[in-house]
Amino acid sequence: MKKLLFAVLFSAGALLFSLSARAQVLVIANPSVKSADVTKSDLRDVFTGAASSFKDGSHATPVLLKSGAAHEEFLSTYVGKNDTAFRASWRSLVFSGQATMPKSLDSDAAMVDYVAHNAGAVGYIAKTSPHDGVKVLAVQ
Amino acid sequence: MRRMWLGWLILLGSMTAAAQSIDDLNIQIHGYATQGFLYSTNNNIFTTTSSNGSPAWTEAMINLTSVPTPKLRIAVQARYFLLGSFGNSIILDWAAADYKVNERFGVRFGKVKTPWGLFNEIQDIDPAYMWTLLPQGIYELDDRESYMTHYGGVVYGTIGAGKAGKLEYRAWAGEGYYSFSNGAFIDQAETGYNLPRNIQGPLYGGALHWKTPVTGLMVGASDLTDNTWTAPITYQNGSTFVTGTHTTVANSQPNYFAIYEKGKWLAAFEYERAWVHVTSVFPTLPSGFFLTRQDDRTEYGMISYKITPKLTAGVYDSQDTNRAAPLGPGRYSKDWAISGRYDFNSFLYAKAEEHFIEGTNLGYDLTLNSNLKPNTNLTALKIGVTF
Repeated sequence: MKKLLFAVLFSAGALLFSLSARAQVLVIANPSVKSADVTKSDLRDVFTGAASSFKDGSHATPVLLKSGAAHEEFLSTYVGKNDTAFRASWRSLVFSGQATMPKSLDSDAAMVDYVAHNAGAVGYIAKTSPHDGVKVLAVQ
Repeated sequence: MRRMWLGWLILLGSMTAAAQSIDDLNIQIHGYATQGFLYSTNNNIFTTTSSNGSPAWTEAMINLTSVPTPKLRIAVQARYFLLGSFGNSIILDWAAADYKVNERFGVRFGKVKTPWGLFNEIQDIDPAYMWTLLPQGIYELDDRESYMTHYGGVVYGTIGAGKAGKLEYRAWAGEGYYSFSNGAFIDQAETGYNLPRNIQGPLYGGALHWKTPVTGLMVGASDLTDNTWTAPITYQNGSTFVTGTHTTVANSQPNYFAIYEKGKWLAAFEYERAWVHVTSVFPTLPSGFFLTRQDDRTEYGMISYKITPKLTAGVYDSQDTNRAAPLGPGRYSKDWAISGRYDFNSFLYAKAEEHFIEGTNLGYDLTLNSNLKPNTNLTALKIGVTF
């Protein structure tokens, strides 16, 4: 019984941790993207180069942060890779002629500015960062 | 040797530009360079003197990509390649324009990668995978130039299949070539038979990749067909010099494969049948007809695990049998490989791999292996930088 209780508590803790971690990143898009929400699967396809549009037909161009907590968290939560593996997979697409490396930006402010001014751009920032001029996408 | 250093210098120079986008022109520059080391216990492999330890395995590559419009991409890639007595030159790896209309249809044309099998498009892109050597029965390091690209086009797209997942298709056609300075032709040249130029001719094929509803599981098949290709061939032995015709009879190469990625695990399987029927005819020579038949059946299974974010380890078993060869070690090649890769950061990595090879169907250079042994262990080390 004690083991069962421990397992339930551990699972609940892990779930809470997972939800709070996910809540630390905002997925943002240029207002040209029609949907207000995307699935995790759609987001992964766009950020791994498997798709260049969302299911609603909106063109989607992934934009990356160069580093930082929001970057690491976005990759682990929505793409399932660390930075090294993620960039290696993009390089394999570039070197085999199948894609272009996504643009990488230095800061949340640069990300918001770029996404706001480029049709189809999709990126991510820390939840606490200002994000005027961009659309926040809910990830299902 | 000077060319090797030139290749490194070009890449290091480019790295100072640090993989940057040239924003106004929407141009990107990327590249990588690797240096390998081979040591084998018995036979010398890949035309190197690996039984003494050989560093004659260097690659450097640079890629330039421009995106004039969101749907159009133009790119060119050049490569320096040295492996034993192969290469030691800079070649145009591929150069293509890609127009993607939508998810369902895109077209790529120029000198393009030929997308057969599970790994052909990336078999020469060392930073893309953990293995130092991909299974050699299918992805032959010393014969890859002839199979990686073709002149022509590829159409591609992804079709949603609802709850059944997604279906990716690729179809290609154009002109392929077997490089006269590559693969089996090196052995052939050493015995006096030379090809003054590449053998080339029409090819076509298609591939289907089914991304199943099981997240991370892809199952696929491809088929590559070459029409009959002919080229002039010469034979020289002392004062004897004759010309003839070399013919590779129309053939097809089917591949069946699956890959499963989940969390830190990756598992893959592939089967290929490759049969080749080659004739060389010298009309002025008595008995001037030579026939070579090969019927290789190759399969491998591989599994890898990411132990830490920087360290990955894996193992594969590969078996290749030439059903057209007489019984004996020359008929097969069995290769167990244990492998590891360490990424120091996003730019620098190192690989180490040990192979336990039985049989001699890998295609050893006979002038470097006058006393060919049935078994060889091979240690392959590599360090790479990419940007």
